[in-house]
Amino acid sequence: MFKLILKLAWNNAFLRLSRTLLVIIMIAVSMSMLLAIQGLFDGMAYNMSDKMLRSDSGEISIYHKDYRLNKIIANHVTDAKTIKAKLEQDSEVQAVVTRFSVDGLSATARKSSFANIIGINLEDEEKFGQFSDFLKKGTLDFKKRGALIGGELAKTLKVKVGSKLVFSTQDKNGDINSIALRIRGILRTANVKLDTSAIFIDAVRLDKFLGIDKNIATQIAIRTQSSTLQDKLKKDYPNLSVKNFLEINPMMQMMEDSMVIFNSMIFVIVMFVVFIGILGVMYVSILDRIREFGIMRGIGMKYSHIRLQIILEALFVGLMGYLVGALFGFSGLYYLENVGLDLSAYADAMESFGYETILYAEIKLSYFTNTFYAIFTASLLSVFLPLRKIKKMHPIDVIKADT
Amino acid sequence: MFNLALKNILFYKGRSITTLILTFISALMFIVYVSMMDGSHESMLKNALKVYTGSIEIYKKDYRDIGGNEYLITDVQKIEKELDKIEGIDTYTARYETYGLLSSSTQSSASLVAGVEPLKEPSMSQLKVALVEGEFLSPTSGNCLYAGVDLVKKLEAKLGDEISFVGAASDNSFAADLFKLCGTFRTGSFSFDASSAFIARAYFDELMMSHNKASYINIKVHDLNDVDTINTQISAKIDDSIESLTWKTLMKTMVDAMEVDSIFGYITISIFYVVIFFVIMIFGFINVSSRIREFGTLRCIGLSRQKIRTLLFYEIFILSSIAIMIATPIGAYIAYYYSVHPIVIDGMSEMYKDYGIISDEIPFSFNLFTITWNISVVYLLNILSILYPMAFINSFKPVEAAHHV
Repeated sequence: MFKLILKLAWNNAFLRLSRTLLVIIMIAVSMSMLLAIQGLFDGMAYNMSDKMLRSDSGEISIYHKDYRLNKIIANHVTDAKTIKAKLEQDSEVQAVVTRFSVDGLSATARKSSFANIIGINLEDEEKFGQFSDFLKKGTLDFKKRGALIGGELAKTLKVKVGSKLVFSTQDKNGDINSIALRIRGILRTANVKLDTSAIFIDAVRLDKFLGIDKNIATQIAIRTQSSTLQDKLKKDYPNLSVKNFLEINPMMQMMEDSMVIFNSMIFVIVMFVVFIGILGVMYVSILDRIREFGIMRGIGMKYSHIRLQIILEALFVGLMGYLVGALFGFSGLYYLENVGLDLSAYADAMESFGYETILYAEIKLSYFTNTFYAIFTASLLSVFLPLRKIKKMHPIDVIKADT
Repeated sequence: MFNLALKNILFYKGRSITTLILTFISALMFIVYVSMMDGSHESMLKNALKVYTGSIEIYKKDYRDIGGNEYLITDVQKIEKELDKIEGIDTYTARYETYGLLSSSTQSSASLVAGVEPLKEPSMSQLKVALVEGEFLSPTSGNCLYAGVDLVKKLEAKLGDEISFVGAASDNSFAADLFKLCGTFRTGSFSFDASSAFIARAYFDELMMSHNKASYINIKVHDLNDVDTINTQISAKIDDSIESLTWKTLMKTMVDAMEVDSIFGYITISIFYVVIFFVIMIFGFINVSSRIREFGTLRCIGLSRQKIRTLLFYEIFILSSIAIMIATPIGAYIAYYYSVHPIVIDGMSEMYKDYGIISDEIPFSFNLFTITWNISVVYLLNILSILYPMAFINSFKPVEAAHHV
C-alpha cells in the first residue's frame, strides 16, 4: 500500500508541472542566495577574528593589570620571559609569544604620524600565528635595522619597502630617544590597530633602544584550545590581567552576536515567505483534486492514507527545491570559498576597516541542515490547512464538491 | 476592464489578501531598511565632516601624496582674496599642521599639532563645542595648548601643566617650545582625541615660521549640495599648482566603505524580494490557472489577448497600489520619526571607536526621492511577477481554454 501511495504522491507532485517548477525555483533561488550570503558574512567574521587571534591577542593574553588602560613602559610584566618558559611546558599551550610595545612618533623626511613600535621575535611569531601570512610586500627580516610596517601606516607615511623612517619616543628613563629604521616589509593583518599604527622590530633591538630589561614584556599572548586555561592562569598570576580574546576584543563579540541575530532574522523571514509559497501551491493543488480524494475515500481508502499521500507530495516538492537549492548554494559557496568575491575596486575602504579585498565564504554543514529542517517543516505545515478541509468533508460531499 | 479587475480582486480573496500582505511587507521593509542604511551612512559622514574635515579643502598639489614643507601653500592671502569673491562659501580658515612629540614631565606622545585661527575655527569644526575642561583658544592665548582628552590622559597632564613640543618648522629647521595646557576637548573620534592638539596660529606661526603659509585651507559651504559647483569655481580661480578637493575625494575611503556596505545591504534585502516576487508570481499563476475557463469564455465573446493582459495588469496594479498606499505613509512616518529621534545603542561608539564611529545614535534618513524609488522597485517587481501568468493564459486557444478542466 505504501508503495502505491508513494507512487501516487510522486506523480501528483508533478501533475501541474509549471506550478511545481515555480515552487522548486522559488525554494532553490532563495535558499542558494541565503546560503551564499550567510557563508560570506561568516567568512568575513571568521577571517577577521582569525587574523586578530594570530596577529595579536591569541586566545588568551596576559598584561600588567594597568597596561590596557594606561599603555606606558612602567606597566609591564616583570618576569615575562620566565612566565613564557613556564607556559611552554604546559601541554594545554600550543604557542606563546612575548611582545613589548610603546607609542611614539614615526617620521620620514616628509611625513610624520603617531605609531606603535612592537618588539617581536619572528620565529616565535611564525609559530604563534604564521606571521609570514601577513606580509604583503618585501621580506620578513629585521637585518640592518630592518622593520615591518602596517599597511595603513605605510600609506600615511608614504613609505615603501626600502624607505627609511625615524621612530621617536621616551625611553625607560623618560628621555626622548630616536631610532632610524629601514622598511623591509609591509604587512596586512586585518587588525585595524596594527595596520594603522604598528611598526615591528626585533625584540632585542627594542630592548636596547628603550634601555629595558630583556626579561620584561607588555604582553604575553597564548594560543590554546583549552577552555580552562584562563581560569588556571588567573589563579597562578593573580596580580596580572589575564584576558581572553573576546574580553580583549569586545567588538568581535558584538559583531558575532549581531551577525547571528541578523542571519537568523533573514532566515526566519525568508523561510516564512517560502512556507506561504508552498502553502499556496499545496492548498490549490488539493482543492483542484478534491473530487479525486472524495472518490478515493468513497472506494474505501483510509483518511490516514490520503493524509500520507498529501504529506509526501508536499515533501517531494519541498525536498526537490531543497536539493536544487543545496546544489546551487553549495556551488556558490564553493566558488566563494575558493575564488572569493573580489572587491579590489574598494581596496582602500576594505583594508581600512580590516577586511581583505577578496572576501572568502565559509561552508558549514549547519547551513544545509538548518535549511533542510526549515524546508521540511514548511512543507509539512503547508498541508495542515488543506488536510483539515478534507478531513471535515464527508466522502459524498467531497465527490459533489464544486472546485 | 478596470471594474472587472476590481470584481476579480474581491472574488479571489485568497490571492488578493496574500498579494496585499506581501506587497505591504516588502514596501514597508524596503523603505525602513534603506532609510536606516542611508541614515547611518549620512550620520557617519556628517559626524566626520563636522569634527574637523571641511566640505572643501585647498592644497598645494602633491601635499597629500608626498607631503613635506615643500608642498605648503605659500600665499594664503592671495587665495583668500579669491575665495571672498565666490558665493556660497560660508567661511574658510587656513590651518598649519605638523606632527611633533609632545612631552609632559612624565610622558611623551606623538601628536598632530595644528595652528588654527581661534575666531574662525568654531564655525568650521566642532573643536570649540567639544570643550571638556579649561578654555578654547583665542587670538591672544599665546602658547596655550588645546588638546584631546585621550592625548592629555596619555601625557598624564592636567590643566596648567607645561607641555614641551619638539618638531620641525616650515623651513625644516628644528622647532621646540614649551606650551601650557589651557583646555581639553572630546569630539568622540578616538583617534582624533588621542593624537591632536591645537594652538593659536598667531603664536604658532612665530614658532614654525609659517606666516602666510598653510598646510591647507578649509572651506565651509552654505549648502552641501552646492559643493561641486563651488569647487569648480574655486578651481577656476586658483593657479595650477594648487588643487581644490571636495569631501568626496577627501573622505574617499569612507565614501567607498559606505558604498560597499550599501552593496551588501541591497544584496541582503534582495533575498526577500526574490522570494516575495516568486510567491506573488505563484499566487498570480495559481489564480489564472484556476480561471482558465473564465478567460476562455472572455476570449470566446471577443476579448483580445491584449485585453486579457490589461485585465491582469489592472488586477496586480490595483492590489500593489492599495498595499503601497498603506505601506508608504507608515514607512515614511517610521523613517521620519527615527530621523528626528535616532535609535540609541549605548556603548556602540566605544566598541567601534577604532572604526571611526563617534556616536551611539543610529539616525534614519527621511528622503522623499529615496522613498519614491523604493516603492517604484516594489511596483516594478509586482508587475514583472504577472508576466509569466499573462503568457501562460494567453498560450491557450479560446475554445481550448473554454473547455479546460
